[in-house]
Amino acid sequence: MSYVAGKELRIVGFLCNWCSYGGADTAGVGRFKQPTDLRIIRVPCSGRVNPLFVVKALLTGADGVLVSGCHPRDCHYSDGNFYARRRLEMLKRLLPFLGIDERRFHYTWVSASEGARWKNVVTDFTKAIHELGPFHQKEEKTA
Amino acid sequence: MTVEKLKEAVRKILPEVDVVIGYRQGFDPLHATPFFMTKPEQVDQLIWNPLCVQNLCSYLPFLKGKVGVIVKGCDSRAIVQYMQEKLIARENVKVIGVPCLRVISVKKVMAAINQQSVQEVTFEGENILVKTPEGQKTIPLADVAPRKCATCQLATPLQYDLLAGDAIQSNKPQDTFEETKEFEKLPLKERRAYWEKEFDRCIRCYACRNVCPMCICQDKCIAESRDPHWTSQRANVTEKSMFHMIHGLHLAGRCISCEECERVCPMDIPVAKIKKKISMDLKELFNYEAGMNPDDTPPLYTFKIEEATIKEHEL
Amino acid sequence: MAETGFLPKEKLPALLDALSKKFQVFAPVFEGDVVLFKRFASGVELCLTRPANLPPKGIIFPQSETLFNVNFKKDPEDLKKTSVELKENLDFAPTIIFGGRPCDAQGFRIYDRVYLETDIADPYYKGRREKTTIVTLACNAPSPGCFCTSVGRGPAENEGSDLMMTELEKGYFFEPITEKGKEILKEGGFEDGSAYKEQAQKAHEKVSALVKKPFATLEGTPEKLLSLFDNNQFWEGETAKCISCGACTYLCPTCYCFNITDEQAGNTGERIRSWDACMFSHFTLEASSHNPRQNKHQRLKNRVGHKFSYYPKKYKGVIACCGCGRCIRYCPVSVDISEIVAHAQGA
Repeated sequence: MSYVAGKELRIVGFLCNWCSYGGADTAGVGRFKQPTDLRIIRVPCSGRVNPLFVVKALLTGADGVLVSGCHPRDCHYSDGNFYARRRLEMLKRLLPFLGIDERRFHYTWVSASEGARWKNVVTDFTKAIHELGPFHQKEEKTA
Repeated sequence: MTVEKLKEAVRKILPEVDVVIGYRQGFDPLHATPFFMTKPEQVDQLIWNPLCVQNLCSYLPFLKGKVGVIVKGCDSRAIVQYMQEKLIARENVKVIGVPCLRVISVKKVMAAINQQSVQEVTFEGENILVKTPEGQKTIPLADVAPRKCATCQLATPLQYDLLAGDAIQSNKPQDTFEETKEFEKLPLKERRAYWEKEFDRCIRCYACRNVCPMCICQDKCIAESRDPHWTSQRANVTEKSMFHMIHGLHLAGRCISCEECERVCPMDIPVAKIKKKISMDLKELFNYEAGMNPDDTPPLYTFKIEEATIKEHEL
Repeated sequence: MAETGFLPKEKLPALLDALSKKFQVFAPVFEGDVVLFKRFASGVELCLTRPANLPPKGIIFPQSETLFNVNFKKDPEDLKKTSVELKENLDFAPTIIFGGRPCDAQGFRIYDRVYLETDIADPYYKGRREKTTIVTLACNAPSPGCFCTSVGRGPAENEGSDLMMTELEKGYFFEPITEKGKEILKEGGFEDGSAYKEQAQKAHEKVSALVKKPFATLEGTPEKLLSLFDNNQFWEGETAKCISCGACTYLCPTCYCFNITDEQAGNTGERIRSWDACMFSHFTLEASSHNPRQNKHQRLKNRVGHKFSYYPKKYKGVIACCGCGRCIRYCPVSVDISEIVAHAQGA
């Protein structure tokens, strides 16, 4: 994952196609200013997110992982985000047990019209990760 | 409950099934080993004592035909969990329940006798007597029992078609997850360093995965798949940690806390700790304990529209 | 210079310190209740009282090693042209494996026939093997499950070692087996060992008598096992309790099967050789999806056959099992290979 060494940290985002990705798009159209660290991976639904995606991202170089989906009751597939909520809550409680700061993983619900809210989520999460610093001691060279 | 009652139960069930799985003496006086009986004369070799640690239910999803199996309380949770997940046809399994108050941990006994060779083992009351070249040592069973026995509520198995003996009560304190909570009090850096040190010893032999009654993917386990490529063949802490996360997370809401995984690790990695943490969280969040009630649904297989215990997180 | 050496116990740490300056020294150390071979560092507590959980095979035959690195470079003048740069790593440091047991050292002799004594020697194995000196500690007690004397070895068997040490009351008796072993004796601190030779000999004989014998002889066993090849009922009975993990193979000093995989990300990558285990269900899985050893009785039959039948037939009767007992000790269900062989003999 390329990033601006020294300025950016590696933050990965799993965004559901219908709400959150749309929300991020709305933020873009509205030209809201945001930090540029986040790299987005689009998934059909937050229910597609396997907790192991988050773990793999953190273990293999990410400093923070964000998951965002439709608000509960508004899932494009009716119930995907209900499953996601349970899985991700379980993961959120497990990570600190392994010595991973729970603030490095955040899951939230952002709808397609909430451009301003998306900007705040990204800004606040990026700021939190920068405060925590890199997760891996050695900074790897980019490819 | 004597072993004679157990042999009687096995002889009764043997004509109705293709095989009965029990225990016989292992390679040395301190080990029992699973024993697959197909003929009546084999039943004479059956043993029953605190050496019988293995969870024999792990074989069930892979066996065809009718199978008889001897289960302790902790093992019986596997039968219940299999029923919840429809991994066995319950009518094809004849369960012989055995009341059990505790087993031994071979690792703890070996530590107590200074890793000496074991020449003889006997059980007297609440003690295990071990004879080594250094002499005879009497050790209270409670001192060398695995972690799970101290808070076991299932002295009598949950599921059985035949109970070899009288039903008994456990009279043990409920599990309050003290060990887990104590560990969570350590500073974050220390927790991370602890797991990196423990996982570094891992040799990815997959003994923990294969012995687990709930791990039924075996051939298809994603920890070994090349496509998708979850882990590489590199022997570094990242890959080893990834395997343990895969194993732990795939057992979330399904782990029955038999702690077989920790028993079999040749490198003494406390792998059951992670599963206990997840079990503790799921009990708190969804009031769910795996393997207790055949009509339950594992918590991650289902949802509620309003989740009283999950609050939205603020940044 | 004396033929043999004697080192008082209190001088052992100093010897290892001195050797660490010229070699990378691996010795068995405690990590909790587990004993592992780790890089020796001053002040670390050695374990010489029981064999390590994992044998030192990983020092010469690593669990995972990079055979070469790959770099794809596009030609800036002509983007359609890509050149491939391969970088092998055949640089190996002088090494000492200190404090292994005779059964551990035996493993390397089993590997030598397969990796070295062929028309194309394995350069990675060869490089490490030639730079490694094996200093073995003779056993003073058997371990649970071990049976070395029944497979043509013994608790003080010196084949495969460069220098053999025996623990006596006040120190260690050292006997060189090869030139490499003699080099170690040139270090400071050693006294003349000739007075202790008989004592050491007696100690070896005493332990030898204590080792369990699961079978009287292996005469005719390779052929007997082969004759049972199609006897599915026998093998299914013996292997019913196996759970197909890889604990036995990974912990075995004589197991040498490997897997080669390419790991690539973008323009760089590496080819890795890593341990494989014939007990894994997909060990013989072919690209066509056919699997000749799909059932666990076929796989365990292969493991027993390899050690007690196929290897001896290929290599003049040498049994590929060193009798260390680790597979029995650490098996989750106590599968006992010596018991299987004994049953096969009687079948």
